[in-house]
Amino acid sequence: MKQESPLPRVFLVDDHALIRSGIRAELGSQVELVGEADEVEAAIEMILERLPDVVLLDVHMPDGGGQAVLEAVIAQESSVKFLALSVSDAAEDVIAIIRAGARGYVTKNIEGPELIEAVHRIAAGDAVFSSRLAGFVLDAFASQNGDAGATPPPFDPELDQLTMREREVLRLIARGYAYKEIAAELNIAIKTVESHVSAVLRKLQLSNRHQLTKWATERRLL
Amino acid sequence: MLAALFFALGVIVYMTYWILVIRQGEDKSILSRTGSDKREKEILSVGTIAVFSLLLALQILGFNVFGFVTLFLTFGALGALVVWRGVSTSERAHLHELTDSVATMGSATGEGWVGITLRTVLSVVFILIGVSGLSRVSRRPGAASGVVIGSTALVLGLIILFAPWWIGTLRGLSKERNARVRAQERADMAAHVHDSVLQTLSLIQRAADNPVEVARLVRMQERDLRLWLVDPESFGLTSDPPDSLAESAFEIEHEIEDTYAVAVDVVIVGDCDLSAPVLALLGAGREATVNAAKWSEAPSVKIYIEVEPERITMFVRDLGKGFNPSEVPADRQGISGSIVERMARCGGQATIRSSPGSGTEVELVLPLKTTAP
Repeated sequence: MKQESPLPRVFLVDDHALIRSGIRAELGSQVELVGEADEVEAAIEMILERLPDVVLLDVHMPDGGGQAVLEAVIAQESSVKFLALSVSDAAEDVIAIIRAGARGYVTKNIEGPELIEAVHRIAAGDAVFSSRLAGFVLDAFASQNGDAGATPPPFDPELDQLTMREREVLRLIARGYAYKEIAAELNIAIKTVESHVSAVLRKLQLSNRHQLTKWATERRLL
Repeated sequence: MLAALFFALGVIVYMTYWILVIRQGEDKSILSRTGSDKREKEILSVGTIAVFSLLLALQILGFNVFGFVTLFLTFGALGALVVWRGVSTSERAHLHELTDSVATMGSATGEGWVGITLRTVLSVVFILIGVSGLSRVSRRPGAASGVVIGSTALVLGLIILFAPWWIGTLRGLSKERNARVRAQERADMAAHVHDSVLQTLSLIQRAADNPVEVARLVRMQERDLRLWLVDPESFGLTSDPPDSLAESAFEIEHEIEDTYAVAVDVVIVGDCDLSAPVLALLGAGREATVNAAKWSEAPSVKIYIEVEPERITMFVRDLGKGFNPSEVPADRQGISGSIVERMARCGGQATIRSSPGSGTEVELVLPLKTTAP
């Protein structure tokens, strides 16, 4: 991701000062940090005022958490992109924030360079999937095998099914491959990998797929 | 009757005493404080006139109100009004506490004085109507309607009078129950934090100069806390052996994290029951993970398992130093015996991809006999 384009403008939301300073240190001079907030209200106000490219957003915060910030900002300014941050990558956290509109998800123990890469990727309009998120998507979008009787036909084939290629890409992400490695493995360009992941993100956000809804309602997410 | 008279006199004497005598620590009596304020005087005179007008009106309407009891109540009420208007701030706070606990006042502070007055007057009127209605019931035919109206009015009056107290009591009960539940939860939480987090912190302090041990303790605690957050009820209860592929895989993750102090990430798509071939697959995968943890020098190992109808695939990957598979001595049991041959015995296949400097990935495939439905 070495580009001559201007550094992405990043806004940081986390209620723990320690985490914020850690992330600040890791981001270093690779991004332009335009502000920080430690609570929902202030975050919404400052993000709408400064309009950063990427918001690094803590999922678990008092007063509605990251999702409250995300929903309030996106309602007014859909150009702001969100990268969710959490200590846990438990599927229920991931799926809720992604469905709400985040373009990616990383855990807080992510290494500095990976975080920077993720931020640049989000800023460029692509999506960032952790291996666990990829695993979840494969699970939720499993084709009509296994419990075939329980799965009704997809409501919208365009949104409710993954293509072979998307499935391959997700599988490699779940195995821990970086985008570059996936591109090499599948003999495709990194850009193509990115567009596959973005397509999956879109399906994940828009699909009404039975499994996804059932899965989420079981955990009282929707 | 005599006792009632003495009681009434006693109350009025007490009230007078209260109004006239200066309270300890204060420089004015209630009467002088009320008397020196123009507004207070107005309030008192208006109050007195209002009460007597009401009594007079009721008398004219035919209710026989002027009597010993009514007069006693009236003077008592007026005395109370004087006291209420004239007390000092500190005494008023004290009175508020008292009135709040009196049944008919209910939540006096919440309702406001207008509300209380309105409610009390309304209920007294209803009760008076009810009582006088009932007291006139005779043996005349058609008198039953008087009983009905009278008792309805009486009941209505009592309900209006006591409603806030009743509602308040109910609310208090549920509030108390909630508080008890919360206290219980807090105690459970405190116990858990003490048993797990604080214990681990003290262990970490003792192992401060051993980063590997610290990392191990931290990961163990983190996992514990997560399990507890997800399902506090059954936390610590499930010690039974795993009965599904996913459960065993997570067990391998925990075991290797604890033993070798590396992070193991497990991602599983699908799940299935354990059977001999599945256990063999897991055994081979475990061996591959142990190898990665022991030799790769990578800080983390990734395990990916996908269960499909016709096969189970398991990948174990690290980004460590890697090795050249063709240069591994043939007598090294780890790879050949524990992984490759074990997979072959259960009808599966193991592929090891590694090169120095770019990590290692072990791929295990176990075909499943698709049982026709």
